[in-house]
Amino acid sequence: MTDITIIGMLMEHWISIIGIIIGGICIAVGVHFVPVGGAPAAMAQATGIGTGTVQLAAGSGLTGLLAAGYMYMTLSAAGTPGISEIILICATGAVGAMIMISVTMLVGNWVYIYGVGVPPASAKKDYDPITGDPQAPYVAAGTVGQGMPTVCFVSGAIGGLLGGLGGSLVYCMLMWVNGDAAISSIFAIGVFLVNAVLPSYNIQGTIEGFHDPKFKRVPKAMLACFIASLLCGIIAVMIPGMSAFGGA
Amino acid sequence: MSESAETANQVDAKGIVVGLVGIYIAGISGIPYLAFLAGIGAIFATKMGADAVRRVCSYGIGTGVPSIGMLALGMGIISAMFGLALGKMYNVVFIGPIIGLVLALVIGFVVGSLANKIIKLNIPVMERCLTEIAGAGVLVLTGLSVMIAGSMDFVVISEKVITTGYIAPVFILGALGILHPFNASLGPDETQDRTLVHSLSCGAIAMVIGGVCSIAVIDPIAGIITIVIGLAIWYVTFTGFVKLVKRDAGAGYVGTGLLPPGAM
Repeated sequence: MTDITIIGMLMEHWISIIGIIIGGICIAVGVHFVPVGGAPAAMAQATGIGTGTVQLAAGSGLTGLLAAGYMYMTLSAAGTPGISEIILICATGAVGAMIMISVTMLVGNWVYIYGVGVPPASAKKDYDPITGDPQAPYVAAGTVGQGMPTVCFVSGAIGGLLGGLGGSLVYCMLMWVNGDAAISSIFAIGVFLVNAVLPSYNIQGTIEGFHDPKFKRVPKAMLACFIASLLCGIIAVMIPGMSAFGGA
Repeated sequence: MSESAETANQVDAKGIVVGLVGIYIAGISGIPYLAFLAGIGAIFATKMGADAVRRVCSYGIGTGVPSIGMLALGMGIISAMFGLALGKMYNVVFIGPIIGLVLALVIGFVVGSLANKIIKLNIPVMERCLTEIAGAGVLVLTGLSVMIAGSMDFVVISEKVITTGYIAPVFILGALGILHPFNASLGPDETQDRTLVHSLSCGAIAMVIGGVCSIAVIDPIAGIITIVIGLAIWYVTFTGFVKLVKRDAGAGYVGTGLLPPGAM
């Protein structure tokens, strides 16, 4: 039992720390892509999904984690996953998170269009950067847009991809360290939340996607999340799994 | 935000001291019937977190109050488990909660500085409050985990709390107790005693649910003791909260019962 030491764990698992940092930065950038509208969007007075960053990040992150965890279980039946398996696991997690965020945006748009009766439009751009559709005539007076226009939808899907990718990468790295799915997933959620909340302060709660002027603040969030993930990563890789203590 | 009856230092001192004492008595004594003390520690730690949330969120952080609670528990879970694991690694189980607490305070301070210096939120109390919230997060998580498992041993906690999945309700209920009171009470007429009584009642709900989890894990009688004490605390604090709501209701209030007669 005394042969496990902190320094030993750090020396052995430095590559996992790098993986956790990369994952954390992916999550941080992903948050900037997701059209988060907050409370104004819930009242159809701003573009985006009508809830906060944390709820969206937690939702898509957990869906991605479930997908990644299932893939990990399937692939690890043949032995400890290597790099190619980890790519597959991260891809599965990314697709899981993309499905969740896309379904949220699609159903949200149904509610905005058929329930509230507003056309999806953004007030940040005169023309949709992807379809070229004019936006200004459809923005209701006194609001800053409503619903999810095409550009926000595409941006949100990219955000889900990055978030799911980052979350699954953190999960895989932790599984390498402790080999315990329960501990790894709860730590992955912890790292995920830290890296989702810091960028949400950076965008001050709302953003429309990559066409939003606030998107230019990404480097600040990347720097902050780099430091935060480094700290979390160093601590998380020093926690051995139960098997190291001779537990079940 | 009105003036505070209890200063930040008083709330923090009570939270940390009661939190740690509760966790230590429950974790070291080895008597499952004393496990509820860790829950009481967690309730005081919840109050400490809620007071810090109240101070930092009155500046308006732009993302909604819940984000800061989830941030706290995200930092808290990693530090709490590291502390417990470190204690196990070096065979000094009793240092676990203190190591976790100190580590969380450090991470909280660093993340608070990142939010202020790099992201430029420019909230003067950000560093101090995030430090306190992270510390409260660790104490709540450790307290509820120790209460459910009846031990401070990392292996026991991983087997009985994490692998069983009870960590999920502990995580969310712990976060709710910290973030919900101010989120529910905020506004120009927010008062500190009302928010903090609300946090105690949220902490008591977490304790009751933790007690339900511990029925299957440690000992049915210990679990029932925890549930009964949690319910008693919840009843006292919740009636206290209702009283303060009536006190603070500026325009008076009219009791309508469960549903007004016309809605039946």
